[in-house]
Amino acid sequence: MTGLPTARANAVAKVLRTAGAIEVEHLSKTYGSFTAIRDVSFQVNAGEIMGFLGPNGAGKTTSMRILAGYLPASEGTARVAGFDVHENSMAVRQRIGYLPENPPLYPDMTVEAYLHFVAQIKRVSPGDRPRRVDEVLRRCSLEEKRHTLIRKLSKGFKQRVGIAQALVHDPPVIILDEPTIGLDPKQIIEVRNLIKSLAGDHTIVLSTHILPEVSMTCDRVVIINRGQVAAIGTPAELTAQLQDRQQARLLVGATEETAIRAALQPLPQVEVVSVQPLAADSPRWQVQLKSSAAMDGWIPEAAKALVQAGIDLYEIGRSQASLEEIFLQLTTQEGSEGPLEEAA
Amino acid sequence: MNGAIAIFRKELRGYFTSPIAYVVAAVFWGLAGFFFFNILVRVINFSQQVDLFAQFGQENPFDAATILSQQFLNLLGTLSLFLLPIFTMSSYAEERRRGTMELLATSPITNLGVAVGKWLAVWVFFITLLLPPLVYHVLVLSSANPAVDYRLTLMGYVGLTLLAGSVMALGLFISSLTDSTLIAAVATFGLILLLWVIDAAAGQEENWVAATLRHVSLLQQYSNWVQGILSSSSLILFLSIIVLGLFATVQSVESLRWQQS
Repeated sequence: MTGLPTARANAVAKVLRTAGAIEVEHLSKTYGSFTAIRDVSFQVNAGEIMGFLGPNGAGKTTSMRILAGYLPASEGTARVAGFDVHENSMAVRQRIGYLPENPPLYPDMTVEAYLHFVAQIKRVSPGDRPRRVDEVLRRCSLEEKRHTLIRKLSKGFKQRVGIAQALVHDPPVIILDEPTIGLDPKQIIEVRNLIKSLAGDHTIVLSTHILPEVSMTCDRVVIINRGQVAAIGTPAELTAQLQDRQQARLLVGATEETAIRAALQPLPQVEVVSVQPLAADSPRWQVQLKSSAAMDGWIPEAAKALVQAGIDLYEIGRSQASLEEIFLQLTTQEGSEGPLEEAA
Repeated sequence: MNGAIAIFRKELRGYFTSPIAYVVAAVFWGLAGFFFFNILVRVINFSQQVDLFAQFGQENPFDAATILSQQFLNLLGTLSLFLLPIFTMSSYAEERRRGTMELLATSPITNLGVAVGKWLAVWVFFITLLLPPLVYHVLVLSSANPAVDYRLTLMGYVGLTLLAGSVMALGLFISSLTDSTLIAAVATFGLILLLWVIDAAAGQEENWVAATLRHVSLLQQYSNWVQGILSSSSLILFLSIIVLGLFATVQSVESLRWQQS
């Protein structure tokens, strides 16, 4: 009989689909003459938490909305769990949980009634609904607010109801647009832990403009700026990437600025960013150096060159690169350098 | 379909828990009751006069039950048209304002399912509002002598739900065009005034313009139902308006996704 192999193949396909990877290829969205996002491509592996990082107005929400099937893209394709978000909209909608920028709540419903309603429109079978609603109430610590009208909830609780709403049908893919916005620090930690506990079984895309959030919760990061992908990689990769482009700060003693510049100029890999006196008429100067080469290679060279030129070296240091610096570097440098190459 | 049922139940529950709906119901029932009593007293007075004349040999056949029914149904129609904009004003406008459209648009439920669920809920709520007047109306008719045929009265009520259903479908469409409930209510009321204008323009004249207007005038069709003049064309007119309204709503909601910024 051919029934069994076919059934098995279908089961395999089902597993692949429920695994819920996300593929985004050359996505663009324009509103009239305004380009919200341009040629955005990235992949999210099943079970991964992908952080979408960018300043306000960078195109995060637009990307999320396209992924959730709410907005049609102008160009490019996005596939969720193997389904095109535009062509197979219904299949995608059933497989995603989506928390928009503003939690979509009905203020005159109780938390429980609202979650039941969402479970129903997300096609959770009637028999499973009470169990699923109970579970998300527990997971999002909403049990004691079960019978409260949503309009009477504080902002933090409303946000949690919004997250609960995205989880109630146990979707393989969860898209969260700024999930921790408006929460107090304790709640932020709770939500982060909740998100981390969902990873593995669920593929999660979350957007944020808060940097520590990304390094704390995400497996990988897409940094987006002015509608374009500026960098993709794990937080560690991005940090390493920046270390090579890092700046060194030196405190030297010299009578004239030109002497310092003359000493450092011959070094091929080093670029002098600035030379400033520590104070007016001070013989000490603060020097900033920059290079695209690995720092371990050129720092000793620079020190040697300075000493050989008879310049006193008081301090030399490099600051540990944080994601914050990468973010600032990528999103504030305008046009001086192209976007970073995609990390492996 | 499942989605339409979910929307229907959510919306209906919303009507039964919303203070606005209770205010509307109170106004509707209060005014309907007042005018029913008023009409009843006038009809009784008039029939006493007719009886008096009859004693002096002036026979003047007078169907009190029918007059009561027709006047009351016409009144219910007018009253409903005043209140209908409030019924549908928030259907979509409120969802747009609160951002819950984004939830509906990313759930596995079609725009048609949402529209049908919303329409059905507001229609059922309206029918609920009609039940008390229907009960006392029938109670009074049951004491009529000679006995009256209730079917005529019931047809009038069916006509009223069709008229209201048509206006609601158009109101739903208007509500989907804006995120302000106030604008939706005012615009829907404007549409109802337009219906009155069409009705007045139709008049009784015997030219083709007036005849066409009479055909498409929802109010004219409703008063035909009240008088017991039933035709398949008027039923089709009401049903087409409902379908048209729902279809326009679906299109408007669909286009919302394309223009969103």
